[in-house]
Amino acid sequence: MELYLPVAEMSVNWLLLIALGTGVGFLSGMFGVGGGFLMTPLLVFTGIPSTVAVATTLSHVTASSMSGALAQWRKRAIDFTMAGVMLGGGVVGTLFGVWLFALMRRQGQMDLIVALTYVIMLGSIGIIMLRESLATLKAYRSGVTVSRRLVNRGWIQALPFKMRFRQSRLYISVIPPIVIGFVVGALSAIMGIGGGFIIVPAMIYILRMPTNVVMGTSLVQIIAVTAITTVLQATSNYAVDIVLAFLLVSGGVVGAQLGVQAGAKLRGEQLRLLLACLVLAVGAGLFYQLVARPTDVYSLSEGVP
Amino acid sequence: MKRVLIAALLLVALLCVLPSPFGSGGAASAEDLVSGISQDTIQITSNYTGTDIVVFGAIERAQGTAGRGIVVVVRGPDEPMTVRRRDRVAGVWVNRDAARFEGLPAYYYLASTEPVARIAPAETLRRYGIGLQALTPSAVGSHHDPEPFRQAAIRYHQRSGLYAENPGSIDFLSETLFRARVPVPAGVTRGQYNVEVYLFRGGEVVSAQSTPLFVDATGLERRLFNMAHDAPFFYGLACVFMAMLLGWISSVLFRRPA
Repeated sequence: MELYLPVAEMSVNWLLLIALGTGVGFLSGMFGVGGGFLMTPLLVFTGIPSTVAVATTLSHVTASSMSGALAQWRKRAIDFTMAGVMLGGGVVGTLFGVWLFALMRRQGQMDLIVALTYVIMLGSIGIIMLRESLATLKAYRSGVTVSRRLVNRGWIQALPFKMRFRQSRLYISVIPPIVIGFVVGALSAIMGIGGGFIIVPAMIYILRMPTNVVMGTSLVQIIAVTAITTVLQATSNYAVDIVLAFLLVSGGVVGAQLGVQAGAKLRGEQLRLLLACLVLAVGAGLFYQLVARPTDVYSLSEGVP
Repeated sequence: MKRVLIAALLLVALLCVLPSPFGSGGAASAEDLVSGISQDTIQITSNYTGTDIVVFGAIERAQGTAGRGIVVVVRGPDEPMTVRRRDRVAGVWVNRDAARFEGLPAYYYLASTEPVARIAPAETLRRYGIGLQALTPSAVGSHHDPEPFRQAAIRYHQRSGLYAENPGSIDFLSETLFRARVPVPAGVTRGQYNVEVYLFRGGEVVSAQSTPLFVDATGLERRLFNMAHDAPFFYGLACVFMAMLLGWISSVLFRRPA
């Protein structure tokens, strides 16, 4: 049951990794997220070096986003113009992220930066999601419908370089999508995530895109960013393990499909509440590792950085 | 494997019994050592989970067991390493001080008839690099006292099974014929290893023999590793392509009949 990973240079139980891929894939299919934010910490927990974990999880996200995007494409629910504009920022963000990643690795602060970014991102997004889903659930019980589409777009409308996005029925400046793309690209390189849990809220609440195109468009953006980041991580850090990627992906694509079917049976608010709890639990676990006294205050990395 | 071993042991035994063609004159009375290993290469394949090699040896013109010590050392290729110490900053554990070492091996295993400190004085051990405490880096890059960092490097490797010292682990098949089993775990580095066998008498090395051992990846593992380093761009593209292909296949397979 053991399989040798050529880049990570270690033996792992391949059944465990396929199961991990399936489990994370199931959750990502159910909640409609890439699952990178769960996969990277779990891989590190099984003893895989965090550089390899971050770089290899991206392939898992590419694959599960691919199968989701194809389903949305059949429904013609993708705004390729918007995806293209966001990707413009995304490419620059990715380059910046990979550069920062290499720099932090040389300084020996990679693990800290990865963990800190995770704690901050997961903590804040988890709390926002928890509050929002609890409010919706409460409103649902008391019979009040909450209006999602707030009219106030204020500062977004004031920005220059406006462009028409036909599929999204929007006429807005290209600056916000480019900035969002940049941030997600950078985080993708540092955290090994696709960034779905940032792009989706940003598209809904900042860009005010119609919900039916949000899912498909964000998936296209995620595929492109993770694909670019994988190639960059492979060329600049030699940190992508193709055998590990294959194990995670084969479990992940099956799990994602099962998750989609399971998710269809649950209500949206309940799903968001569950996801919020999951996000907060992972964030809390990582936070504990940052502040708890380590078993050995010394750590070793091979090679001279 | 077992048969090979027995044959090898017999060969060594035979060599001891037969008069040595080189042994003549004054040297004929000196104790000498003959040793070998069960395999001279270790192939890392896809199902490699670590293996054992057997180092065996025989003593020629043995002069009794009293005051005799035998040490088997397997030393991996040197590997530069960086050790960092975490300190608490604003409640968070942060890497602060670091020391870089060169000249420490990636793998070190020692088997001996008794604890090495009882076999020879520390000075001799240090000269031959025998024992974990005798492992001294050739170059140190640090602004601090490197000693705790060196100790931490040894501890780290001991935890991952890459450094070990195992006194009393040499089996004697007769008074002059011995063997030691050396575990080579899954996390080993590729490269040339050295198997050294020392015969001590009265705290001094009487005879020593060194045999190279090669650890290398084969087949697909080797090709993938080489590709990741020689053609990283295409390797990365291959990863992306594989992920997209599997994603596409799954979406076709699970597509609900409309």
